Amino acid sequence: MTVTALALALLAATAPAPPPYAGAYQPVGVDEIGAWAEADEDERQLALSPLLIRDAALDAYVRRALCDTVGAARCAGVRVYVLRVPLFNASMAANGTMRVFSGLLLRARSEAELGAVLGHEFGHFERRHTLAQFRAQRTGSDLLGWGAVLAAMVPDADLRRRFATLGRSVYGALYRFSRDQEREADRLGIGYLNASRLRPQAAAQLWHSAIAEAGASAVARGAHRPRLDRIGFYASHPPEAERAATLDALALPDATDRDDGADRHADALAPWLPLFLDDQIKLNDFGASAYLIAACAARGWTAALWRARGDLYRARGNPHDLVNAARFYAQATALDPSLAAAQRGLGLALVRTGRLAEGQAALRRYLALDPAAGDATMIAALIAAPEDR
Amino acid sequence: MGTGLATRLTIMLLAPALTLAPASPAAARQRSAQKTGFTLPAGSGRTILLIRPSIRVGARSTGGMFEPNGDWTDQARRNIETALAAQQQALGNRVIPAPIADGDAARLVADYAALFAAVSQSVIRYQFFAGDRLPTKKRATQAGRFDWTLGPGIARLPGARDADYALFLSTSDAYGSTGRKLLQIVAMLGPGIPLSAGEHAGYAGLVDLRTGDLLWLNADRAMGGDLRTPEGAARRVQQLLADFPGSTPAPR
Repeated sequence: MTVTALALALLAATAPAPPPYAGAYQPVGVDEIGAWAEADEDERQLALSPLLIRDAALDAYVRRALCDTVGAARCAGVRVYVLRVPLFNASMAANGTMRVFSGLLLRARSEAELGAVLGHEFGHFERRHTLAQFRAQRTGSDLLGWGAVLAAMVPDADLRRRFATLGRSVYGALYRFSRDQEREADRLGIGYLNASRLRPQAAAQLWHSAIAEAGASAVARGAHRPRLDRIGFYASHPPEAERAATLDALALPDATDRDDGADRHADALAPWLPLFLDDQIKLNDFGASAYLIAACAARGWTAALWRARGDLYRARGNPHDLVNAARFYAQATALDPSLAAAQRGLGLALVRTGRLAEGQAALRRYLALDPAAGDATMIAALIAAPEDR
Repeated sequence: MGTGLATRLTIMLLAPALTLAPASPAAARQRSAQKTGFTLPAGSGRTILLIRPSIRVGARSTGGMFEPNGDWTDQARRNIETALAAQQQALGNRVIPAPIADGDAARLVADYAALFAAVSQSVIRYQFFAGDRLPTKKRATQAGRFDWTLGPGIARLPGARDADYALFLSTSDAYGSTGRKLLQIVAMLGPGIPLSAGEHAGYAGLVDLRTGDLLWLNADRAMGGDLRTPEGAARRVQQLLADFPGSTPAPR
């Protein structure tokens, strides 16, 4: 934890207020104009991507989270694209294209937590990090190019070793450069939150959750909990524990009673939650998925959450998992008997645990609820199977 | 929280490997093919739909990174469009630009452009390079048959009803920076390592808008013509469309 302690010692009590914003920024110089041209071309493709979630209500909510965090003036320079990618991430391109992954929406528990990440990404944009990163990489690879050619001119083993050392220092410096950019973006992000009407303490909370999720994932696999407080040589980001501690320390202390928009977040996510949970379950990461379902259920168990939990256990498919899955689906159908997916899962789990008659009854209810289901023919065959099969 | 920086760093890791990769010999492989049995007599007056070309122009840094250049890319796009219009005569056919589409139609165009890119990369890799054959196409390619398709769904492309064929074009150019050229000279004079200064790759393909069959493909990783000038772009377009079915042979 020395790293964290050091980071805390170096930082002021809270993050500085955001600098004045210049407004519609336009690229300057060959490198930046080139980066924008590439990003523009990527954005053309992005707008047509099958991964793009085209839902005006969800777009409006994510955009609101960004604008509430960074303010209307900054917000105007950004186009937000929500992508169906079940990973905890978001990214910012040089020209103001912000990509938000569905996996981030699933993990954030409130508008403030989402805003913390979007503000961090906006920080990269405001400080033009993509350009600085490109230039640092170019300088580093130029140096290595000359080093490689010059080292190859002298057949000397010692010189080759020194060239290898040069390579390691260049890479080490570039990854450190990247981590420092992330630290700056974290400081800017928490600065926006402090200046907003949202609760800045949410920023650190998101990272505490990420650490807990990584732990849950490791435990379910029988692995050691990952050390998220140490800096790796090839780490592009600072360790999670450092980020959580820094954001905790920089959040405005007398802002703890502000609204964090947990209800707004839950309401906006509700129509998409079943799909996002499906995508997460298919990642085959039992511990992380179980953790996320439980985290969503902190606001109360719903039929959709019981159904997802049933799917998670049924996908792993050990005999004890199927018994548990049937129990979870039964909770879902008790809360909402018209949830077709839960009746289907209940029927399949029961059939596989030997409770054929009950299972077939649930499958009949499934087909009655969704006669045009894609798997209707297959399910009908299961129902038609004699009970003593 | 990520920023896509991790991805760029991975690319960075590959850069030194590229740095000292010797310039690859461009020869010793086929670079153009025509669907077996397909003929287009000269001056048959068909209509060809031009899909928005993919054009990328920049520089190569000393260490081998691609440096995108917005100005050069804009110039190249303009010059290529002018050169294509001027070459219509030689093609013996009418080339019309694909209509600008929105919504689902635009997504369909993007899907087919991506599919064309994937199929043509397969052709270049598995058919043009002898010895690297797809197991399912081994016999056909050994017999010299050229048989690839994007599927008949392509008939739904906007503008497809008014045209017979679709023409796809793609170019990727990286001009060696001064530093790169210096490094190239030193590497050659010193340890004798042949370094490539830049990259000038391009490919063009003609697709039947009824069946989706790939009728003709021309690919080259070492093309001539400086896209930043009108004359260079004319030369590049001429090379891209060399051996175009039914075209009047142009001096190369």
